Amino acid sequence: MTASNEYAKIGEYKGMDLLAAAAAREVCDFDVVFAGTGLPMLAIGLAQNEHAPHSACIYEAGSIDGRPVDIPTSVGDARCAYQASCAGGLFEAFYGQLHSGYVDLGFLGGAEIDKYGNLNTTYVGTPLDCKVRFAGSGGNADILSFARKTVLIMVQEKRRFTEELEYVTSPGWRVKKWPSGEYVPKQEVYGKFCYGGPSACITDMAIFRFDETGLMYLDTVHPGFSVEDVKSKVGFDLNISRCSGETKPPTYRQLEILYKVVDPEGIFLP
Amino acid sequence: MGVPKIITLQEAVGLISDGDCLAFSGFTIWRRPVAMCYEILRQGKKDLHLFEVQGGFHSEVLIGGGAVKLWEGSWLAQEILGKTGVNMSRKQSEKKVIVDDYSHGHAVGRIMAGSIGVPFFPTALAMGTDILNPAFDGFANAGLRDGSHPKIAKEKYTIVKDPFYDMGELLLMPAINPNWGLVYAPMVGTEGTVRVLAQSYNDQDVIKACDKVIVICEEIVPDEFLRREPTQNIASGYEIDYIVVCPWAAHPTGSQYYYDTDADFLRGFNASTKKQDAFDKFAEEYIYGVEDHYEYLDKLGVKRLETLRASQATGYSSRVKRGTR
Repeated sequence: MTASNEYAKIGEYKGMDLLAAAAAREVCDFDVVFAGTGLPMLAIGLAQNEHAPHSACIYEAGSIDGRPVDIPTSVGDARCAYQASCAGGLFEAFYGQLHSGYVDLGFLGGAEIDKYGNLNTTYVGTPLDCKVRFAGSGGNADILSFARKTVLIMVQEKRRFTEELEYVTSPGWRVKKWPSGEYVPKQEVYGKFCYGGPSACITDMAIFRFDETGLMYLDTVHPGFSVEDVKSKVGFDLNISRCSGETKPPTYRQLEILYKVVDPEGIFLP
Repeated sequence: MGVPKIITLQEAVGLISDGDCLAFSGFTIWRRPVAMCYEILRQGKKDLHLFEVQGGFHSEVLIGGGAVKLWEGSWLAQEILGKTGVNMSRKQSEKKVIVDDYSHGHAVGRIMAGSIGVPFFPTALAMGTDILNPAFDGFANAGLRDGSHPKIAKEKYTIVKDPFYDMGELLLMPAINPNWGLVYAPMVGTEGTVRVLAQSYNDQDVIKACDKVIVICEEIVPDEFLRREPTQNIASGYEIDYIVVCPWAAHPTGSQYYYDTDADFLRGFNASTKKQDAFDKFAEEYIYGVEDHYEYLDKLGVKRLETLRASQATGYSSRVKRGTR
């Protein structure tokens, strides 16, 4: 790679490039990462080719630490398992890796999020009054419940950043305690199984993080947007007092890695 | 201990009764017994109960075709080739399918328990969510947890306190033992040894958990060949009841080292079958309107199939155009 580590300027990168770079920065070297299809694949690919060469990637269909030469389009893809250390099945991914506590970082998306990082990936409405059914949990609820850190990737829309979810698929920092269903701190339900929770939420406009009480706050705003722009696209009272400035754009080197190494076929990149 | 019997696709599906509980091999859009699901519609099976760790195209076919009454699982879609199971969404909204939701970890634990012959599986995954909301227990709401349905547990889950190491509270999820495991595998040996050529998904668990197992395969090979590398195999012949030979049986889902997923077919299906009449049109063209599986393959054509054929070096096709460049 020949490109420099200077930041690209507005107009020299696309929205997806910035998201991939921002998501990749959440990966630390030696992290065991549980990733899904799409942007997470770009992020882990970029991180492994840059600052986190020893990070390992697990896909839920059972491939462990694969070294794909062609970016997969599905987590069950043979491409995921290329040069993997092990290729087992879902029991290995969810129990051998996740439940046993190996997973440092998860990447997840959702249709809706609340201020504690709870996600809905299943319904418009509820199972009793289903208007639309999305895919469902899959591994979403499992990964968010057990990974030490999870980065949530969302589209910034007011209706998606909601005060209270009609249906909680995946647990954030305050979760429902059954049988009553009252919201309590995650620790109270998970006890010794509480290893962490949502650490960041990356959207097309901003990056959010979670404070000591598990409440979401605005961390950085992407170049080209203002704090007010972001606030107007959040359906709850957003804490902006800890905003630390502008999200760093991708570097020229990161763009080169993304387009020449990670996704040269243009599967996820525009 | 028995020896698996080789039968035809039509005979195999004829063994399934209305109302039976089915589980499948594969993962989302990989190694699904699609040819068997098409034949289930042709034979007009109904009121089926699907237990799916996660569903995919094959579930959409069965659900869209009106063969399914009960569905339990964690997820149903086609990954980036269809982010929502549009037929499932329609049928659930119309209350034509009774649904019970789990997380992937819950569903994996349930089929694992069924596969090893214990009645439940302990897990702490996905606690504190509406998956566990008693008001959203679809099977209880339909009155199905009264103990009179052998494939439906009397409780969706229970919470227990660890009696041994004081780890606190966690869930017990009931085992599941479906009537039929419908399993696609690329290779089966002459004695029934089963091999898959990539991630094993939940295929072994499905084989062991189900009362009866039908394996539909690309080809039967000498068992001696598979026994040269026993670590590569996922099941022994005595665990299998029936074998069906059917080339390209997983299409449009993929089978590593045989063929890639047919992305255009899957994307097109997902985009075009949101409405029932559109599904019916699809089904008429590809399922009811063809005499058998070979006529379906003729319809797809040599060029399409050859493009999907996998490289023997990597296990996937180098000829499909996947992206924009």
